[in-house]
Amino acid sequence: MTTAMTIPRHGGTGGRTAVAASARQVVKAYGSGETRVVALDHVDVDINRGQFTAIMGPSGSGKSTLMHCLAGLDTVTSGEIHLDETEITKLKDKKLTRLRRDRIGFIFQAFNLLPTLNALENITLPMDIAGRKPDAPWLNRVVETVGLADRLRHRPTELSGGQQQRVAVARALAARPEIIFGDEPTGNLDSRAGAEVLTFLRKSVDELGQTIVMVTHDPVAASYADRVLYLADGRIVDEMFSPTADQVLDRMKDFDARGRTS
Amino acid sequence: MTVLKTSMRNFVAHKGRMALSAVAVLLSVAFVCGTLVFTDTMNTTFDKLFAATSADVTVTPKSAEGDDQGPRTGRPEALPASAVQQVTKADGVKSAEGAVVSLSVTVVNSDNKNMGSDNGAPTIAGNWTHNDLKSMDITSGHAPRGPTDVMVDADTADKHGLKLGDELRTIAVTGDITARISGIASFKMTNPGATVVYFDTATAQRRLLGKPDTFTHIAVTAERGVSDTRLKQEVAGVLDAAAGGPYKLQTAKEAADSGREELGSFLDVMKYAMLGFAGIAFLVGIFLIVNTFSMLVTQRTREIGLMRAIGSSRKQVNRGVLVEALLLGVAGSVLGVGAGVGLAVGLMKIMGSMGMELSTKDLTVAWTTPVVGLALGIIVTVVAAYVPARRAGKVSPMAALRDAGTPADGRAGWIRAGIGLVLTGAGGALLYVTTQAEKASEGSLFLGGGVVLTLIGFIVIGPLLAGVVVRAISAVVLRMFGPVGRMAERNALRNPRRTGATGAALMIGLALVACLSVVGSSMVASATEELDKSVGADFIIQSGPSGPIVPEAEKALRAAPDIEHVTSYKMIKAELTSPDGKRETEELAAADPTYAQDLRRETVAGELSAAYGKNAMSVGSDYAERHGIEVGDTMTVAFNGGETAKLKIAAITSDESNVDKGAMYTNVTTAAQYLPADRVPPNLIMFAKAVDGKEDAAYAGLKKALAEYPQFTVQDQTDFKQDLKDEVGQLLNIVYGLLALAIIVAVLGVVNTLALSVVERTREIGLMRAIGLSRRQLRRMIRLESVVIALFGALLGLGLGMGWGTAAQKLLALEGLGVLEIPWSTILTVFVGSAFVGLFAALVPAFRAGRMNVLNAIATE
Repeated sequence: MTTAMTIPRHGGTGGRTAVAASARQVVKAYGSGETRVVALDHVDVDINRGQFTAIMGPSGSGKSTLMHCLAGLDTVTSGEIHLDETEITKLKDKKLTRLRRDRIGFIFQAFNLLPTLNALENITLPMDIAGRKPDAPWLNRVVETVGLADRLRHRPTELSGGQQQRVAVARALAARPEIIFGDEPTGNLDSRAGAEVLTFLRKSVDELGQTIVMVTHDPVAASYADRVLYLADGRIVDEMFSPTADQVLDRMKDFDARGRTS
Repeated sequence: MTVLKTSMRNFVAHKGRMALSAVAVLLSVAFVCGTLVFTDTMNTTFDKLFAATSADVTVTPKSAEGDDQGPRTGRPEALPASAVQQVTKADGVKSAEGAVVSLSVTVVNSDNKNMGSDNGAPTIAGNWTHNDLKSMDITSGHAPRGPTDVMVDADTADKHGLKLGDELRTIAVTGDITARISGIASFKMTNPGATVVYFDTATAQRRLLGKPDTFTHIAVTAERGVSDTRLKQEVAGVLDAAAGGPYKLQTAKEAADSGREELGSFLDVMKYAMLGFAGIAFLVGIFLIVNTFSMLVTQRTREIGLMRAIGSSRKQVNRGVLVEALLLGVAGSVLGVGAGVGLAVGLMKIMGSMGMELSTKDLTVAWTTPVVGLALGIIVTVVAAYVPARRAGKVSPMAALRDAGTPADGRAGWIRAGIGLVLTGAGGALLYVTTQAEKASEGSLFLGGGVVLTLIGFIVIGPLLAGVVVRAISAVVLRMFGPVGRMAERNALRNPRRTGATGAALMIGLALVACLSVVGSSMVASATEELDKSVGADFIIQSGPSGPIVPEAEKALRAAPDIEHVTSYKMIKAELTSPDGKRETEELAAADPTYAQDLRRETVAGELSAAYGKNAMSVGSDYAERHGIEVGDTMTVAFNGGETAKLKIAAITSDESNVDKGAMYTNVTTAAQYLPADRVPPNLIMFAKAVDGKEDAAYAGLKKALAEYPQFTVQDQTDFKQDLKDEVGQLLNIVYGLLALAIIVAVLGVVNTLALSVVERTREIGLMRAIGLSRRQLRRMIRLESVVIALFGALLGLGLGMGWGTAAQKLLALEGLGVLEIPWSTILTVFVGSAFVGLFAALVPAFRAGRMNVLNAIATE
């Protein structure tokens, strides 16, 4: 299940292992008694360093919850989550916040940027908050990569949806986090803009050695990943390596069919 | 119907967001209603008191009114006892009783402590009559029977722990009455604070009036079935024929009415002043309401768009918002009326602790009070919500389809900025004209116009100023807070209109504070300068509220050691005939010649000391000009109640002065020649100079001389100035206290803006938390935003207020306020205080923002 790839580490602490993040027997349940809903049902997963992982699954399968738990945004009911060697399920809000700030990058579906800050300020925001100086050559490279050099002084409202998402990608990359989580990062974009953003994500894995986990329900988006995890009813039910969009689509149809017959 | 239902649901759903607006309405309405209830209650209390103490018909000597010689001499006007006999003969009279009442007394206990109230309520001494039984019961002991008996009212006895047998000394112009308490009488209704002592009739006549067989008035009681009006006619008929007149007759109702009239003008001043402050609070509240509804409409843009898309008309949307405002107004006002009654009771308690007794039994809520409160609260709320409601009506149905995200940032419109600049410019020009004015009357018009225009101008350009000022403040204050400070600055700037309105609300109250503090300290500085320049006396002895300095006290002062001289100063009324034949009634300042040293005056002609020569006097330059008087002319002076004198003008004093402006001086001995001894008034004020080098000993000696007369004060120049400063300070503190209401509402406005902004920025906050902003940083960011808004309001307000204050001082320079002093310590304190107010205002919003769940925040639509 764990296909290790040797890549140079970048940013954050630790990072000597091949596994960037892992979940062990993670349960996430809401409510109690009759109304208890299990969103994650004893999930075990390893996220490989330097890989682009997509998490897929129908609505309510728990894919977003899994991502939120891995990213330290949400708490788990039981089980352990490790980011590199840190067990984040044990951390309190203060340390968790610092961990998100220093070691994790985020790209959300929409509303990624602060409207009061311009593109460059948004990109460097996590480092500003931490009181760190951005690494200038790296920042330039990231900005180059996402092709925003001429848009850095623009406010988010002056950028198109695709450009906004690219700024978000740049922000996620700029702090050199150990891992970037994307929550349907292309969900709000048309296919061309979406393809652009996904290409940048792919490039950042290939060229910058970045680890990325992305939740999506779009088979095309998933086809950019190295590995696709399928979630259903809070469990990982399948995975696929180096997928094409068609393969992903077929597999999805399978699940749908199975879902209907069972 | 559906509009109403939707509005109701919206109102209930967003009641949290409306809460602070409701509180603002509540506070303002409560202040209005509280003022009305309080003043009505005071009126009721005094009405009851007057009704109970007035006889069916009261007869008084006519000259007692319109001639203030009575209070000046310290001897009330009297009528002969024979008049009482005359009145008894009239038809319909059941009984007529002569009464003695004097307000020119001070009552002290055996430790020489003043038993009178220190809040302006009078001390009254009189004889105990049957009429008094209408309003009082003797609750212990007995009525005064002889010259050593005194009866005191129960409230005073309680307050000072007086018991039967205790000694009380009553100080009157005619001498002291030392007597033991023989009885204590309680008022049947509320006595708001007067100290009352009773003697037997003979003692009262002899010692309070100085003449036996005289009374100050006659209390006439009607026979059964005789109306007060008829009784008055009958008594008038009898008295017309009688000697010793003329008399003034008043029925019980007329007496109560005239009593109320006198008091009413004082109560009205208080009432309108307090209503004025309530008005300011309302004005400030408008900003809060406008901000709230603007934010609600913005936040609901999509929802409104949907309503429009499915067929709501503009009018319906518009009306929907107004109905919400109406509900808010009703809720706030109803609570406000209730709180107002509570406030009135609280005020009564405070007054009670200051010695002004008011009973909740007399609590008067006129039907107009809730009506006025509700009407004001509702109208103000709906009017304030009108502009946001119109904006809601303009939302296009397309808004439903757009991604709302964060509401578009409002920008200050250029047209608005232009109008604001024109208004401010015009106002500033008027203020400048004010400073150049040559007549106070026209200048005050300019000042008023300038104040109003600059205020409106500042409110209108508020959003524009917000941009500039917030940046400036941030450059100084926020830089040290790094990125958090920068984000706070950006947040404060993102909606200049909102920041402008929030700051402007605070600006109003603080501008008034700054203006008044400038005027107040200029007043003190000017007076101090004037005193230094003109007063040569070392000590100033002032009379108390109960009348002039009694002869015994004067004697004691003159006997004090280490004194070079003591100066008398009396005001004597007289009718003056100038050489041009014109007559004017004036008050002459009759003083000892040393007064010329005690108060240095410039003369335009003659020597001031010559005015104290035999049969000489001086006049002011204005008067001299008006009547063409020159030194050497002769004035005909008819002293009230005395003879007519021919006095020579020996000097003309310059009226370029603030102290004793226009005073006409003459020697005390000159005046005394033409007046019967009992018409020479005692001293109104006295001055003293110490033997060189013995100032301290002299001061101590004078204080000792007055130990038995606590109603009079002796002060050296330092203490006098300090006293003046304290008095101005006290007055300012009262005004600041009343302005606190407006400032509290403005602070609620800051809280409101922050709280609604936090709600509005839920997603942003979630995002920032997700990418690593700690709770502490988040809270700091909100606090800093709050501080910046507060400082913005403070800077505008203080700047504006200092401008107003300076213009006012320049204008008042014509009236003697020559020195401009800006109280920098007060200004700085207010400025720094506003920063803390900002921190305080952010407490709850910051706490709530910190508690937001990151996931929910991200998920919010």
